[in-house]
Amino acid sequence: MIRNASLYVLLTVLECCLATGVVRGDDRPVVYTSNYPIYFFATEIAGSEVDVRLPQMEGDPAYWAPNSDQTAELQAANLVLLNGAGYENWLNFVSLHEERLVDTSAGLADSLLPLMEAAVHQHGPEGEHSHVGTAFTTWLDPKLAAGQAHAITAALVKLKPEQEAGFNDRLARLQRRLKQLDLDLDQVFTALGDQPVVFSHPVYQYLESRYSINGRSVHWEPDAVPNFRQWIDFQKLLAGHPAKLMIWEGEPLPEVSDKLAQQGLISVVFDPAGNRPEHGDYFEVMENNRQRLLTVLGML
Amino acid sequence: MNGALQLGWRYLAYHRFKTAVLLASVTLMMFLPAATRLLVEDSAQALNARAALTPLLVGAKGSQLELVLSSLYFHAESPPEISYQVFKDVRDTELVIAIPLHARFRARDFPVVGTSLDYFEFRNLELAEGRLLGLLGECVIGAGVARKLGIGAGDSLVTSPETVFDLAGVYPLKMKVAGVFAPSGTPDDEAVFVDVRTSWVIQGMGHGHQDLAEASAGNAVLSRGEGAITANASLVQYNEITPQNVREFHFHGDTGGFPLTAVIAVPPDEKNGTLLRGRYLDNKESSEQLAVPGAVLDDLLETVFTVQNYVVLGLLILSLATVAVIVLVFLLSQQLRRGEFFTLRRMGASRAFIALLVASEIVFVFAASLVLAALMTWTVRAWATKLLLSLMTF
Repeated sequence: MIRNASLYVLLTVLECCLATGVVRGDDRPVVYTSNYPIYFFATEIAGSEVDVRLPQMEGDPAYWAPNSDQTAELQAANLVLLNGAGYENWLNFVSLHEERLVDTSAGLADSLLPLMEAAVHQHGPEGEHSHVGTAFTTWLDPKLAAGQAHAITAALVKLKPEQEAGFNDRLARLQRRLKQLDLDLDQVFTALGDQPVVFSHPVYQYLESRYSINGRSVHWEPDAVPNFRQWIDFQKLLAGHPAKLMIWEGEPLPEVSDKLAQQGLISVVFDPAGNRPEHGDYFEVMENNRQRLLTVLGML
Repeated sequence: MNGALQLGWRYLAYHRFKTAVLLASVTLMMFLPAATRLLVEDSAQALNARAALTPLLVGAKGSQLELVLSSLYFHAESPPEISYQVFKDVRDTELVIAIPLHARFRARDFPVVGTSLDYFEFRNLELAEGRLLGLLGECVIGAGVARKLGIGAGDSLVTSPETVFDLAGVYPLKMKVAGVFAPSGTPDDEAVFVDVRTSWVIQGMGHGHQDLAEASAGNAVLSRGEGAITANASLVQYNEITPQNVREFHFHGDTGGFPLTAVIAVPPDEKNGTLLRGRYLDNKESSEQLAVPGAVLDDLLETVFTVQNYVVLGLLILSLATVAVIVLVFLLSQQLRRGEFFTLRRMGASRAFIALLVASEIVFVFAASLVLAALMTWTVRAWATKLLLSLMTF
């Protein structure tokens, strides 16, 4: 009995040590990622050959910026895998080794969607200018996500050429799963047809584009009650775009979803999975999104 | 024998002025040719060492020497510029590691060098204090800058305006010192390093201001039209980049057209370097040129060595003349001292004793001159090379 208990304790300690890399004398290359989808794809492709990390970030990684400690970690990394498409705004003001940055959507430039024109402003002698950009939630289109996975694989192969076969095998497996996800989502949105949809935030451009969703976006936060002006604008939107479904990034406040229900709109969450989910992984989050959509489709 | 040496020594000590003139003449005769040669050789070695460690440079067409000196020593006032696109093109060849350089501005008389983190690895610069550049608006200073200005990590440094008459020009930028490099004995000790984007902010190509779309910017808005906002002169532009306002900083236009003064290209092997050189040699219409700093400085030093040979030859001829004069001085001196030598002979001194007396005087003068010349040469070697290199930095 005591021997068994000792053996159990020893095994537990060994497992902990292995998990923290204490025993293996971890000399694996360190690769940082800038959001959860890229982190997930990289871990799936890299297996245990590379130490893939996602910095601790609160909220939406699109609005994250590294602090000085995180900047030092990014500077010391062997690679930094970026989502690209203007997602990493912090790159404009953080100094990193440029040759270690990998823009995973650089090869998808033709498929990237421009954002609506921002307000033009003018000051000083430079003339008019605006700060426009590109829609960046590329991973919501599984085909683009597959392209990003391919770019991640190429970067990892450069880092560890001797592991090329393993990386390619795991990439093929990931791409099969992304293809299946694409088919599943296509089935759901085909059932939705041309029905007008409102998105709570302008982050679903690639989902709209991929599945030809008849959508319009507002700028509402799930944890905030829209002000009077926003409700007025919303009514105007509905007048020309009679939606019955509103897709949210997160669970809206009950008073907001109730008020929407009174106006005949069903609220449903489609989590973009930009940050590390509390439970499950990228595919589980997408499957949950699909299940929720399937549920509300029956109510429309 | 001791008596002859002592008499010789006493003679020199008694005729102080004559001895001093002799010492000065012989010392300079020994020092000048040796110091000239050693100084030129040491300076050439120091120049070549930095040039040899910088394999290739891409810059604007024009004087290759100017390009090399401004890129290695950051001394140029307004070096010709190339576009950041050139850096991207060199990098995208994947033949070399490309390092951007934008060395145009100054902060309290020290050159501000806009570059990337790769520069510090390339030059093997070690931090003595603080950390590397992290955020836009931060700088890392060389050991000489830290010592002369008495600043360190956590302090601030303000850039100098390009001209005091440019009242409407770019405002100075207050930079935070993120770290200090350990002394390297190179011009990097006397430089202030920033991210190349920070140097663009200094140049006024990027700036930060409050968001004009926000209601709080009301007083700064001149007009707000359909999709267009015009600011008035009261719009406050930040002159310091902090973690709080860094997100407000932005660049207008395509950064590909933004300026650099050079690109350092570091090929992994000779083949890649040759391939890159071939691309620039083939492209006659390019507005850029590729220079090999080692070769450019070799050409310069060849000229310097030729001039040095003429100078040394002239000094040697002068030395011969000095020797002739010294011999004459000694011969005339013997004539004047005939009575002294006669007295010594009458006192029983041999001819050998008198010869030893005269020889000891000559040996004392030459030995003392040799020591003095050696000391002066050592001093020159210790300080002159540093002085010469520091002059090239400014």
